[in-house]
Amino acid sequence: MLFFSYFKDLVGREVTVELKNDLAIRGTLHSVDQYLNIKLENTRVVDQDKYPHMLSVRNCFIRGSVVRYVQLPPEGVDIELLHDATRREARGG
Amino acid sequence: MATEEESAVKEPLDLIRLSLDERIYVKLRSDRELRGKLHAYDQHLNMILGDVEETTKRTVPFLFVRGDGVILVSPPLRTA
Amino acid sequence: MSGTEKGGSGTTKTPADFLKSIRGRPVVVKLNSGVDYRGILACLDGYMNIAMEQTEEYVNGQLKNKYGDAFIRGNNVLYISTSKRTLAEGA
Repeated sequence: MLFFSYFKDLVGREVTVELKNDLAIRGTLHSVDQYLNIKLENTRVVDQDKYPHMLSVRNCFIRGSVVRYVQLPPEGVDIELLHDATRREARGG
Repeated sequence: MATEEESAVKEPLDLIRLSLDERIYVKLRSDRELRGKLHAYDQHLNMILGDVEETTKRTVPFLFVRGDGVILVSPPLRTA
Repeated sequence: MSGTEKGGSGTTKTPADFLKSIRGRPVVVKLNSGVDYRGILACLDGYMNIAMEQTEEYVNGQLKNKYGDAFIRGNNVLYISTSKRTLAEGA
């Protein structure tokens, strides 16, 4: 639940989602669910030259399981909050 | 069992718990390696790392790493 | 029943008993990728997540890395085997 809650608080921010097939998509986080499926809006592919077929994609749903990384906005990371939530999660789970 | 110290490693995830706020090494699938400060993790090994270096490639201020790609995590050497 | 072994120091009944019995022992952990980790088994859990100490990483039989402590995510584990020695198995 920790990362689900974390990403819910991140809704509305700009993130870059890097997929396991090396495609990286930047966009506004629209929503997230318990599987960490992600909906992005106003998307653009980071390396457009390499993926020209993605040029017209403006919104997308990303299945959680294909995500490798999510680059987070520094202002969207509260380290103290993450520590507390992690310790609580470690005790509970 | 219940008399163990809090710093004891009695299950593997304790090793990760003791690495919170430490700079760790993470080995991932498809020959990727990260070094970064561990800010959060869960039982899947999903993590948030700070000041991340993807070995010999690039740096990222903050990175969420999905746990299913993780092979190995090593904390910094502790002087025991 | 008549043929089953009992009580010998090295004998164990189930895979779970085996896993319990090898804590603190030198082990070789082989991953699905073929990479071997040799070190002292600190502990493991039901997912076969493993904590090891004095870990050496062998790729194609060659020492590639050493870790003081190492957590190995269980889904990558092919097998865990006890070994007589972990360090400096010379020629």
